[in-house]
Amino acid sequence: MSRIMTIWLPRWPVQRRLLERPELRRRPVFVCRRERRGVMTVVAWAWAAPPRRTGPSVPQLGRASGSRIPAGMSLAEAMAVLAISHGSRACHIAEVDHDDPVADLAALEELARYCRRFAPIVAIEKSSQHEPVGPECLQVDVTGTAGFFGGEGPLVRTVVWTLAARGIHARAAIADTPAAAWAAVHHTDALRADCRHGHGHALVRGGRHQRWAIVPAGAQLETLAGLPAAALRLDAAIVSQLRDVGIETIGSVARLPRKSLASRFAPQMSLRLAEFIGERPEPLVVPCSGELPTASQAFDFPLLLRDTTLDDLVAVIERLLQDCVAPLVAQGKGVMSLQVRLERAQSVELRETCTPAVIDIGVFQPSSSAKHLVELVRLRMARMRMPREIEGITVEVVSAGTAECRQRTLFGEVAETSAARVGMLLDRLAGRLGRGAVFEPRPMADAQPEHAWAAVPPAASRSKPEHRPEHRPEPKPEHRIGSKRSHHAGPHAARTMAFSTSFVAAPQRRPIWLLPQPVRLETVAVVDSSRVSALNQQADATSGPPVRFRLASQAGSPMHEVVKAHGPERLETAWWRGPTVRRDYYVVETVAGARYWIFRRLGSGSAGRPGSEWFLHGTFA
Amino acid sequence: MVTRVLDGLGLYFEGRETVATGFPSLDRLLPAGGVRRGSLVEWLAGGAECLAGGAECLAGGVGGGAISLACAVACRLADPRWMDQSRASHASTIVVVDRGQRFYPPAVIPWLDAMADHAGKGGGRPHLVVARPSRDDDELWTIDQALRCPGVAAVLAWPRRVHATAMRRWQLAARASGAVGLLVRGLSECGFSGQRPGGEPTRPSGPTRPSGPTWADAKLAISPVAGEPVADLAVRRLRLSLAGGPWSGNEMLEERSTELLLDLTNGHEATRRHLVPAPHAAPVAVGRLQAAHFQTEHFQAGGFQLGEVACRAS
Repeated sequence: MSRIMTIWLPRWPVQRRLLERPELRRRPVFVCRRERRGVMTVVAWAWAAPPRRTGPSVPQLGRASGSRIPAGMSLAEAMAVLAISHGSRACHIAEVDHDDPVADLAALEELARYCRRFAPIVAIEKSSQHEPVGPECLQVDVTGTAGFFGGEGPLVRTVVWTLAARGIHARAAIADTPAAAWAAVHHTDALRADCRHGHGHALVRGGRHQRWAIVPAGAQLETLAGLPAAALRLDAAIVSQLRDVGIETIGSVARLPRKSLASRFAPQMSLRLAEFIGERPEPLVVPCSGELPTASQAFDFPLLLRDTTLDDLVAVIERLLQDCVAPLVAQGKGVMSLQVRLERAQSVELRETCTPAVIDIGVFQPSSSAKHLVELVRLRMARMRMPREIEGITVEVVSAGTAECRQRTLFGEVAETSAARVGMLLDRLAGRLGRGAVFEPRPMADAQPEHAWAAVPPAASRSKPEHRPEHRPEPKPEHRIGSKRSHHAGPHAARTMAFSTSFVAAPQRRPIWLLPQPVRLETVAVVDSSRVSALNQQADATSGPPVRFRLASQAGSPMHEVVKAHGPERLETAWWRGPTVRRDYYVVETVAGARYWIFRRLGSGSAGRPGSEWFLHGTFA
Repeated sequence: MVTRVLDGLGLYFEGRETVATGFPSLDRLLPAGGVRRGSLVEWLAGGAECLAGGAECLAGGVGGGAISLACAVACRLADPRWMDQSRASHASTIVVVDRGQRFYPPAVIPWLDAMADHAGKGGGRPHLVVARPSRDDDELWTIDQALRCPGVAAVLAWPRRVHATAMRRWQLAARASGAVGLLVRGLSECGFSGQRPGGEPTRPSGPTRPSGPTWADAKLAISPVAGEPVADLAVRRLRLSLAGGPWSGNEMLEERSTELLLDLTNGHEATRRHLVPAPHAAPVAVGRLQAAHFQTEHFQAGGFQLGEVACRAS
């Protein structure tokens, strides 16, 4: 027997705003909607901490809102009622906000994700369109999970207290069906009163105001018979019809013959009653959770590589990719990296476990285009060794990111902006050359020329360099159920390009062509004989560039005459990096007009030779 | 069909935008007054038959300055201030296809920064992307893909062996997307009379016309001006000549060549006043060196203070 727990968050639009801005607790908050002809009607209102008054009692947050200001009352009337009860000052400090059902739903979804700690399946109730307020209840399937909390009573208490600790006023009730639990949670104080009369049912109550209720299994009709008929989630028209006939409670409704129900009232009546009793199942629709989609296809017979072509495999993978991408697109996200696994058939006679062939695809910009992704897969598959037999293909999205929305133009000749095209180009290049082979260079503050720059992955999705991202003034981590804002994709997106380049050397001193390893040179240098004796300890008796040089590795290479030299420029590395590098760099110009970047290595320890080691590091090509 | 023939002759202008390269000498050399978007330009470097090699890069004297000039032109083409108003989006990406992993970005990044500073708040900064293919066919494919992308302003590459079909495919890709391909090639591959191997390097008397047709729209031969070293380190003296391609025209008899001073600090053209005649240093035998002009510098490098090192040979 399934047990469903319903968590009711009364006046959820107001509660959400109170969570975002706690300073509103001291003021009455009205959430309004603009109807036709400019009339503002109240969707929900509350005053969390009203001042103590000797007048009529202020409606508490938990009580049904129909006592003073029902939903649908116009704002002017609501203000008048407030003024009567609390004085005109209350009207002056009242906060009026526009209704934002999208943000309410988003916040509710985040809260549903939070409530997964009680049970894995948490759904948001389906709200009918005519209701002025959006969904306010969470339906949790707690079948069999109550034991983890020590029983249904402790579970329901834990739920209410946990949410109260977060600042959320909630009520919870457990029953057999979602409809029964919904009815119970909306009328927990009525149930408390019933319990006092000793109906013999095990009901738990607690707190000053009844906040939880447990309906025993199979007994929802008996327990909840005293509740008003509106607790069946019926339309107002049907409720008034019932009242005309003289039917007030659920028990009376249940005693009516079913056939007359269907003929006299709208079909919703019998539907709701069936759901309440449990004859008609009511599935819980779980909102799209944070899990990333996966799609797989298993073949009845293993595909032999010699019989299938690459195009067939790619067609299958494209279909799976479309299945994966569709739920992400609904959330406004794109694929950042995905994994394609080609499962190999396990051959019994060889008794070996074959690991699947794995293809990892990563993109620089979140992409929701299955065609683009499958092209990257095809590029990779063309270069890898395919397994001989394929039993199944699995496509799994490893990470997803927010994708920017682009409005398609009707007559535009370019469907995507150039930045998007460049992003796709970079993905293709990285797919074939490897992700480390495509990069953007960034200067680094380092004396050693090889480390004076670093390769960073290209951020293809970037906003204009002079715009900074607009960020909220004080982002509170515990109130992340805020309004839904669209963020730019990727961490590099809004970083300005104006990094400080004060440490970058002058470009005329750096060659455009740098060898990965310096090449040793044979040099002919001028030795100052008068200084040899004085500088005996040093490795070089000359201080200056050589007159001629050529490659040491090639014996027949020509000598290059140095006509002009600029330097020296001493570059030393940090001592903590390893072997010390101390070099004197010279920019030399030869007779032919070519420029080279050569250096002399200092402190190398070859103290005997008057000539020191010269290397060629780069050319000014 | 007719358009293709006319296009091959270079007489049919499709109305593509012509961008001034920012080097007035080069613009005077080119018939259109600049580089047309969607074209291929071949830069023939002096004696660079070993561009992608390792230790052999001294054999022909690769320090000619061709790649520096090509980089400067690429930065200019990707300048967001020159964006095409007719197109909805502008291209400001430079793709460098670095086969051989020789490209050193810190020589080029200050040019982009200078461009961004010059543009101020209104303009952006060209994006520099480096791709390092490890195989020849990967390199050809990378150049092809980069030329197809409309968001790319310039593609800089130095492919070693290119056959005519690949170059034709690149030309068509560039035409479709509007990217400019700057290919730096070695002179010896195109039939140039390079420098004699071994012995003293000869001074080139003048650029000679290469043999063999090319699919590129222009072929520019670049060689450093030898014999007169420039006093200022920041300036390079180069000799350019239009050596082939439909832009050079088929009826040209005289060789069009000019001299260009490349300012290495910001990648623009320097004016003549930077050229200070230095005393000519004749090569002499070892031991009797006289009046060798070595510069003495006193500057900071990498945060370490360097004392003045005076070197003079008697």
